[in-house]
Amino acid sequence: MIARRFGLWLGVAGVLVFTLLPVWLMVSTAFNGRANAGSRTIWPEEWTLDNFTFVIGEGGFGQYLVNSLTVALGTVLAGALLALLAAVAVSRFRFRFRTSVLVMILVIQMVPVEALVIPLFIQARSLGVLDSLFGLVIVYLAFSLPFAIWTLRGFVAAIPVELEEAAYLDGASWGRMFWSVLLPLVAPGLVATSVFSFITAWNEFIFALTFMSDQDGFTVAVGLRRFFGQYGTDWGAVMAASTLITVPVMVFFVIAQRRLTDGLVAGSVKG
Amino acid sequence: MTTVRERTRPGRGAVTTGPRPGRDPRKNIRPWLLLAPALLVMGGLLLYPLLRVAVISLQDFGLRELVSGRTDWVGFDNYAELLGDGQLWRTALPNTVVFAVATVALTVVLGTLVALLLVRLGPVARGVVTTAIMVAWAIPAVTGTYVWVFLFTPGDGLAIQALDALGLVDAATANPFTDRLSFFAVAALNVVHHGFPFVALTVLAGLLTVPQEITEAATVDGANAWRRFWSVTFPMLRPVFAVVTVLSTIWDFKVFTQIYLMPGGDGVTRSVLNLGTWSYVESFAQNRYGLGAAIAVLLTALLLVITVGYLRLLFREDEL
Repeated sequence: MIARRFGLWLGVAGVLVFTLLPVWLMVSTAFNGRANAGSRTIWPEEWTLDNFTFVIGEGGFGQYLVNSLTVALGTVLAGALLALLAAVAVSRFRFRFRTSVLVMILVIQMVPVEALVIPLFIQARSLGVLDSLFGLVIVYLAFSLPFAIWTLRGFVAAIPVELEEAAYLDGASWGRMFWSVLLPLVAPGLVATSVFSFITAWNEFIFALTFMSDQDGFTVAVGLRRFFGQYGTDWGAVMAASTLITVPVMVFFVIAQRRLTDGLVAGSVKG
Repeated sequence: MTTVRERTRPGRGAVTTGPRPGRDPRKNIRPWLLLAPALLVMGGLLLYPLLRVAVISLQDFGLRELVSGRTDWVGFDNYAELLGDGQLWRTALPNTVVFAVATVALTVVLGTLVALLLVRLGPVARGVVTTAIMVAWAIPAVTGTYVWVFLFTPGDGLAIQALDALGLVDAATANPFTDRLSFFAVAALNVVHHGFPFVALTVLAGLLTVPQEITEAATVDGANAWRRFWSVTFPMLRPVFAVVTVLSTIWDFKVFTQIYLMPGGDGVTRSVLNLGTWSYVESFAQNRYGLGAAIAVLLTALLLVITVGYLRLLFREDEL
């Protein structure tokens, strides 16, 4: 029994070290005053905010954060609207080719971005939307839509049709029913898919790298590369910038995912 | 997965499509109006480019064509060059397939072990470990890759120094990024670290649905933990394992960022190119968009085969 408990705790310790050590190193190096002076330790001897002030000020990372935030919010807003409309269509209506549309939404998620970046770069170049944040929003919108529609479809289907019918009995039009009944009920699902759309746009690398050649338009994922100099890497700056990128995503992610898995786990225990 | 409720009785109101579609054209057009914006975006930015990349792969598309907009058809020349290239058979294909198989195996085994650990823990410990796992899951590919590169930096990387202290490598000379095997070993650590949380949490959700009585009965019958897993748990959770394996395979086949951002991964070290990075480097560094497109088509075809397998699994479980 004691051996078994010991084994369990050993397992827990192992998982915690493997999952958290890289994150801890990122954060501790970001605060390490001597990150570039050959001091690579798990616990910095000298704590400082210099790395952060450097990347935001001189490093120009403030601009990149604003760019990424703009792109991500644009993607979230447009994505939520388009995905909700489409989700209502596939979960509330029966129509010809409905199954084909659903299969397409599923299959299209497997397309590798490497295959899309060549034609979209050529297209964007001829349309003159390279180096514009708007171009990135449109691309990320397309990437986040399939998953958002697929997820929201479940949320919409879970709302009893009787509630809609009650609204019609009260004389509401379809539009009125949509805004006053469907939308409030599907809000939690909308929050979950929005979080994922935000993360998709915030983390994306290939398209941001290919489309944005002008430094003013860099997003955080691409801006990070600036701290890799020709004569050596400024690891303090890299890790400070990485921390700035990672922390918001992490907070979002833990909150949203917690809710989803809690629901999953609770349901299965009762079942 | 939720199933869509099938409407059996004709209700009232505009949401209902009657048993005879086509009677009221307004009812038939409404779902398409709702779908139109999303379909336009996905069609224009996902489907059409996919067609376009196949067309480009049949052209000699270089900087000249990019600037002038002219087309130069070469038929299957790009494919002939690709299939006759030792780079494909000796480097890019093994780097893609072997790497994917190895990382999927590691991800699924580690994820399952962690799920089996989680199910044995009390609520507090389980909450702590679950949060830690999600933190690992949430790290963006870009920053995660830099942290692993940082750990394995030649000379003073912490992991290199630890390995040196164990006597496994010589920190003064070891550079894990120049050798193909060690390069991909570091990449695998990165990919598994990012990929196992999904497997662990999905398998955990599955484990919690296995009735306790069954495992207890197996224990009474004298089955040890190993036997219980293979004779009771695994058969019951076969669909869960199938889905996490196929999804992990799809993700690990198209790793790009994690390879491209490692030292030498952006085409400098030819021996570590996989299909994704090779296609990108051939297109955007060499300006050979035609050949790059052919490589991309090959990668897409491989993924399509896996996707068909995935759909088969999914359709058995869940009615659209």
